[in-house]
Amino acid sequence: MAEIADITHEFIRQEIEEFIERPEERQRTINTFAKARPEMQAIAAALIEGENDIVDQLTRQALDSGIEALEVMDYGLIAGMGIVGIKFRQNFIFVPEVLACARAMKAGMAHIEPILSAAGVEPIGTVIMGTVKGDLHDIGKNLCIMMLRGSGFVVHDLGVDTSPDKFIEAVEETKAPLLGMSALLTTTMPNMGKTIEAFIDADLRDEVKIMVGGAPVTQDFADDMGADGYGKDALACVALAKNLLGVVARS
Amino acid sequence: MNMQSQSVGPMNSRQRVLAALRREPVDRTPVCNPTSVATVELMDLVDAPFPDANRIPELMARLAATSYTELGFDSIMPVFSIIQESSALGCKVQWEQKDNWPTVKMREPIYQDVDDIQIPADFLTHQDTRCVIDAIKILRKEFGNEVAIIGKTMGPWSLGYHCFGVEPFLLLSLDNPGKTKACLDKLKEATIQFGLAQIEAGADALTLPDHATGDLVSGEYYERYLRDLHIEFAEKLAVPIILHICGKTEDRMEFIAQTGMAAFHYDSKNDPVESMRIMRNRTSLVGNINNPETLFSKGPEEVRKEVIKNLDAGVQLVGPECAIPLQTAIENLKEIPKAVKEWHKEKASQN
Repeated sequence: MAEIADITHEFIRQEIEEFIERPEERQRTINTFAKARPEMQAIAAALIEGENDIVDQLTRQALDSGIEALEVMDYGLIAGMGIVGIKFRQNFIFVPEVLACARAMKAGMAHIEPILSAAGVEPIGTVIMGTVKGDLHDIGKNLCIMMLRGSGFVVHDLGVDTSPDKFIEAVEETKAPLLGMSALLTTTMPNMGKTIEAFIDADLRDEVKIMVGGAPVTQDFADDMGADGYGKDALACVALAKNLLGVVARS
Repeated sequence: MNMQSQSVGPMNSRQRVLAALRREPVDRTPVCNPTSVATVELMDLVDAPFPDANRIPELMARLAATSYTELGFDSIMPVFSIIQESSALGCKVQWEQKDNWPTVKMREPIYQDVDDIQIPADFLTHQDTRCVIDAIKILRKEFGNEVAIIGKTMGPWSLGYHCFGVEPFLLLSLDNPGKTKACLDKLKEATIQFGLAQIEAGADALTLPDHATGDLVSGEYYERYLRDLHIEFAEKLAVPIILHICGKTEDRMEFIAQTGMAAFHYDSKNDPVESMRIMRNRTSLVGNINNPETLFSKGPEEVRKEVIKNLDAGVQLVGPECAIPLQTAIENLKEIPKAVKEWHKEKASQN
């Protein structure tokens, strides 16, 4: 079992000590960073601080020095977003800070994605996400997408006001095994159920797991509609996605 | 402890609401929703459906009046959505149908920078602001002084979401606080102009939604960006102002209580007793019956429990936490004033 002293980067050690309270999360994070080389810890630290220019620069340097793209993604970017997600869930940081971290993640991934894609490296999962028909709110959905991408998923974002037909088309086209629907309005929540019914009518319900979320949505509502899962926040969405797809962490 | 029945004679609805907003004694706790009580059932009842009831003054007034005439609430709020002034500023709106609220198309922002912000010359004569002003005049003429007529003017933070898009605006707030403050300073003119026009039309009070919610930003953000602006609104808009912020807000209630706002319309994510403790009688509370899980999904008994929880805590005005779901059953809404009256009757019989 690794110890916090095994982590070389002081900022990462401070972040873990100050913000990660749950023992199992703390140990898991320590284990990850203890295995990460200093360059990866520096990328994670810059990401946590939302410094997209520095993440961009350090990611390029790491790749140029011969470090594998997968290692940079897992031990730099994803490990950093792991701490961001926990801080957000615990209200140590709020949406503006998460947006800045996601922007930094994107800056790093811009270098990594083409390499992984060319090498045929599979993502840990593929998810289709969209806000349901009649609803133009997307901040909650977008936070989930940021955290999913920050955990190594490939996400196809269908945007807002998404009809059941659009969800079906996307599943047929991408063969994604998981679909996430979001709603902010009580008036549009029933469209989640209508979309699930449309998948049943199209004989596609067994092809895809469906998760739902959004401010007015509850576990009971998700159960009544026949969803496979409900996530109350962005981190719960990631855990649910991993659970529904049976994902085992690459590391 | 409620400020009720302290040698106070019978009041009408308007007197009751205005007294509660001043934290003065009332004959009973008023029932009020400073956001919206429009439902599909009420639209059918008075033949004033969405989306027209958001754009035609006569329909807006007719639908709004049902909160008093049909539900027995003590206030009338004719602005059912949060899009009226954003539409007048130039935002695109998806007007939707009877069973859904109109929404600003925030993915198509109209501003990118502070210099883009211009309050149009026709801001107060645009169909969607004019509609509210005219509806308030109609309601004032019809109801005189018997019921509180509440207007609504959006705060600059909410207008920022609409005009810049939520994510660009929140990122701007982190990247460039000075520019963010400059944006808020320009947008506040829309808040003030629309508020003053509604007061002139006869509004007794104004709701001021400004969605710096705990689900998006910190309490420190509220203090940094909005407290002083809200103090300015409370000073410049010479009627009681009811601030509305959804979500968890206990971490910013202390700052809200410093603004001079008459009341704070609070969400069910906040505990009534704790919220009252923070407010320390500096600002009234309005709320906080849960919408999606209680009013929309459960029955009158559950509604009653939440009403009583607020009354027991001493909350000054009881009502739903936010604009109620359009499919909410009238039966559940009628339960609110019924439960309030019975609670007071029971308390009176104990004394």
